[in-house]
Amino acid sequence: MAAETMKSYHSQIQEALDDSFLRQTLDKFAVQYKANRTAIFADMNERELIAEIAAGKDESMGRLEELYAQFCEQAQKKGVIVHRAKTAADANEIICQIAKDNDVKKIIKSKSMTAEEIHLNHSLEAEGLQVIETDLGEWIIQLRHEGPTHMVMPAIHLSRYQVAEEFAKATSQEQDSDIGKLVKVARQELRAHFSTADMGISGANFAIAANGSIGICTNEGNGRLTTTLPRVHVVVAGIDKLCPSIHDALRIIQVLPRNATAQAITTYVSWITGSTNCEMTEDKKKVYHVVFVDNGRTDLLKDPKCGEVLRCVRCGACANVCPVYRLVGGHKMGYVYIGAVGLILTYFFHGHDRAKNLVQNCIGCQACKDVCAAGIDLPGIILEIRARLNEEQGAPLSSSLLGTVLANRSLFHTLLKFGKFAQLPVKSGQYVRHLPSIFAGNQDFRALPTIASKSFRQRWPQLAPEVSQGSVKIGIFSGCAQDFVYPEQLEAAVKILKAKGAKVVFPMEQSCCGLPVEMMGERKAAKKTAVSNVKAFHEADVDHIVTLCASCASHMKEHYPELTAGEGLESQTKAFVDKIIDFSSLLKNVLNVGSADFNNNGDKVAYHSSCHLCRSLGVTKEPRELLGEAGEYVVSPEEDVCCGFGGTYSMKFPEISGELLAHKLQGVEESGAETLVTDCPGCVMQLRGGEEKRGRKVKVEHMSEFLARNLK
Amino acid sequence: MPGNLDPATLDLFLAKAKAATIEVVAVENIHNAVDYAIEATKRAEFGKLLPTGGPPKPATGERRKTLAAPALSQELYDELAKKGEAENFEMIRSGLREYLAGVDVSLTIASMGIAETATLIIENEREDDRLATMICETSLIVLPKSKLFKTSYETEAFLNEALGREHNYTSFISGPSRTADIERVLTLGVHGPLAMHVILLEE
Repeated sequence: MAAETMKSYHSQIQEALDDSFLRQTLDKFAVQYKANRTAIFADMNERELIAEIAAGKDESMGRLEELYAQFCEQAQKKGVIVHRAKTAADANEIICQIAKDNDVKKIIKSKSMTAEEIHLNHSLEAEGLQVIETDLGEWIIQLRHEGPTHMVMPAIHLSRYQVAEEFAKATSQEQDSDIGKLVKVARQELRAHFSTADMGISGANFAIAANGSIGICTNEGNGRLTTTLPRVHVVVAGIDKLCPSIHDALRIIQVLPRNATAQAITTYVSWITGSTNCEMTEDKKKVYHVVFVDNGRTDLLKDPKCGEVLRCVRCGACANVCPVYRLVGGHKMGYVYIGAVGLILTYFFHGHDRAKNLVQNCIGCQACKDVCAAGIDLPGIILEIRARLNEEQGAPLSSSLLGTVLANRSLFHTLLKFGKFAQLPVKSGQYVRHLPSIFAGNQDFRALPTIASKSFRQRWPQLAPEVSQGSVKIGIFSGCAQDFVYPEQLEAAVKILKAKGAKVVFPMEQSCCGLPVEMMGERKAAKKTAVSNVKAFHEADVDHIVTLCASCASHMKEHYPELTAGEGLESQTKAFVDKIIDFSSLLKNVLNVGSADFNNNGDKVAYHSSCHLCRSLGVTKEPRELLGEAGEYVVSPEEDVCCGFGGTYSMKFPEISGELLAHKLQGVEESGAETLVTDCPGCVMQLRGGEEKRGRKVKVEHMSEFLARNLK
Repeated sequence: MPGNLDPATLDLFLAKAKAATIEVVAVENIHNAVDYAIEATKRAEFGKLLPTGGPPKPATGERRKTLAAPALSQELYDELAKKGEAENFEMIRSGLREYLAGVDVSLTIASMGIAETATLIIENEREDDRLATMICETSLIVLPKSKLFKTSYETEAFLNEALGREHNYTSFISGPSRTADIERVLTLGVHGPLAMHVILLEE
């Protein structure tokens, strides 16, 4: 359901946020899924397997035409009629024609996302054909005339009472809301349809070129009945489902069900080759067609930035772990395809207008990338799409303005100095009292900090002499938040570095890392800031570049090589990227900080694991060790779920950001911690601002502040 | 080839089968498996998968329990049928389409097993063979221990041969039919069997 305007999208989101059943269901699911997924991957090398699938998929996509030719040759030899549809309309026309040619009246379907993608049912029904979905979830939403809200559990948004109501209408008799009984009602109703249908339409998880075979995964077994009972079988599959051999399919099966529903395997996997036995036809053979749908896939294949989305195996895990999906559900998180991949595929399959608002609704927490069965850089592709939409449709004024300002360091810094005075009338202690709504509507869920009276770069000349000697030379990359809003966090860091005898430098020519503009799709500005930062640190010649902002660190590490490409800075950028280290890792792994460095007063301290630190940089151990050494580390629930900041995201979607924040702080308050520590100034801004509004039950600190406070 | 199976593989299979709500029994030989099928049919309560919970009222006479085994060899089927008829079961070897309302029990033999996912590999190119394992309330599948492997990759040569044929329908079955589509509550028997038993053969 793609909203036309951002305003109507916001009202759809609010509707979802107010749906208490949906919220409860998805909350429970999110927590259980993560635990179950961890357990089901326990005895496997998950990373290696995902890397193998990614490589295998890339190889298959690289020789797609060859695989297609081989599949056709094999399948046709075995009596299969193979079609290739360039567009959704072509595919629908082909399938309607097959139905006509075979005198079909009634069609049963097992689940196919590709059929949803092309809106096949609409076309078949327009031809006067009766179409019945047989996957339980799909049947329920078909009865309700809705689209799926999850790729694997299409009716996850509905309660048993709503299902009972639909079943009562469908059977014209009252139905109990007991789930076991409802499932039996579906079994009986659908069995009757199975026995009278003329044609079965299924999807395919695999199309195996070597044998011209297809593979279908289902749990319910409706796939087996759909492909067995009717006299005609039509497979609808994206052309990206082609793979060389059964080995590729077996490899994907090791991850697909584990990722989808935390099962070792789906209950049924059916491998169908050639025209199989059917007692309904004269020659006892089934009429069997395979329709490959292109619908933009071969163009996508040539797309160097986004082509890897064709690796997707449709497990739905990107939705399962998405903190935004968890709050708003699938109807607000995709058009047909759901979750991170849904935002992307909406853009490519269903038009840029349908995607333009949806693709803004990614908080960039990287949780999806972390679990993707095929290792797709989903958040990276979403950023790319934002950049393209800005090119195509023009950027919103706010983002162009930010782009212009951030790309010009001295202008940016001048504006910040000006902002410092401009904020005086709205300032209340360390927080902005209220913002004029033109700058930020609906930001009441948190207090926003003011710009510091003296930035870190202004304080540096006084600090520099204290840390001018040492065997390890460390360069500080401040990032905007700490330079201008939280300079005390960097001062605290300098205090610790000084105690550990490090030499510290602060190259003055550094600027914003560029992440905020990249998030808004302002690619040119992002390139400019990247180049100036690489140059600034090249001249400083340091051993390590420490940044106390996990978001800056991950953006620079991941995107600078690409952003500075073509500037003749390859080796300088590589050196820059290799030297970047987060503060906790620097202390533990370079400066050997340990218990002996702290006065541990047993302060109960909880940890918020910043998205960009734990997932992008993979740092999870060091911060927790430090907290245990300087205080009493208390585990709180879902430490690695996003706090809702997401940079400019929290300005664009305050209603979602506020909910994520409330959930996070609730958990920390209940853990009994007095202090909440995190490694990212963006998270500090969000969490501290939230606590300010909630009455300061927990003190929020950056790691550097907490450690400096407890330093011997 | 009894004795060739690594005990760890068997343990893995048993653990994964339990997780997948598969009941596993071990018997000496195929005749014991036939006896097990007869006993399982005797125990079967018909109509568990009907919405009303109870058996439908037969139009005339007593309803007999049904046991389908279309995929067995003639010799084995005859042995089963003899014992089944002695118990007054309706024995089914073909024409499964006539029984789409449901049969009580089906018995079939797996080609291979995969321990790490508790998967039985069944070749069921014939429509009757496929339907028998789908429309029964309890599915009994025999697996000779010598055909049990740890990983799916070890069955690849077999699968390649099967998929290489002119026409073939091969199924991986790893438990009873299941759904969690209503409120994510796991519910068995949505389209296929409510229960699945694996009969492990020593011989």
